[in-house]
Amino acid sequence: MNAAHSNTLPLRTLALFVLWLLLSESYTLGHMAIGFAAALSVAFWNSSYLSRSEYQVRWVQAFAYLPWLFGRILASGAHLSYLILHPKLPIDPKMIHHRPRLSSETALVILGNSITLTPGTITLEASSDELVVHAMDDESTMDVVNLRLENKISGLFVRRASRQ
Amino acid sequence: MEYVGAGLMTVGLLFMVVAAVGMVRLPDVYTRAHAVALTDSLGAVFLLAGLAAQQGFSPNALRILVVLSLLYILNPVIAHATIRAARRSGLRPWTREKP
Repeated sequence: MNAAHSNTLPLRTLALFVLWLLLSESYTLGHMAIGFAAALSVAFWNSSYLSRSEYQVRWVQAFAYLPWLFGRILASGAHLSYLILHPKLPIDPKMIHHRPRLSSETALVILGNSITLTPGTITLEASSDELVVHAMDDESTMDVVNLRLENKISGLFVRRASRQ
Repeated sequence: MEYVGAGLMTVGLLFMVVAAVGMVRLPDVYTRAHAVALTDSLGAVFLLAGLAAQQGFSPNALRILVVLSLLYILNPVIAHATIRAARRSGLRPWTREKP
């Protein structure tokens, strides 16, 4: 564990402990001690998964992104329901190969997750040079193909001022 | 609040029924995974939101919202893992015959 990560250890422990307190209904000393131990060990053992990113989250855009994404999910959910309930079942499944232009790994994960969350498209493979997406029909692929989703996500991050 | 909750839960149940119909009608693993994803990303969300609405502003409503956000992070991962495993084991996706 390097120095940058040990700084945030108390903060991550605190966040997990608050989550524990919220989810457990009991506030006896014993239960809180177990919760604290669990929070500390989870925060500690996951330290190696943290990466010091050169990108910073733009929080306003990030909070605006969630309702927007939910709107897209509703729209494509309605479309997928239409496809499923249509007597002729007018589906046309296909794989599309998409070359993402996102430079940070976090953004790539968010893109893959958002694609899978949106009904009608599922991310099959994700790497920094190619996303393989299985889609129900042409209309489902629109947000991926016309880069709408990707542009939104790249707007959530801003490159940190370099400290060299 | 009671009626808002009931309305949201009804919408959620409708999406779940559609997903169940999809499970039966759709041809292969890949397309069925889409139907299952519908349960997660819309059915469960409306159900939980309905439950939260019926609770009003309370710790329970907050807990439900936490569960909801965890659901949104974890479910895509599971859907992705399942369908990726299907592809790696060599299942070919069903496609419509081009005329």
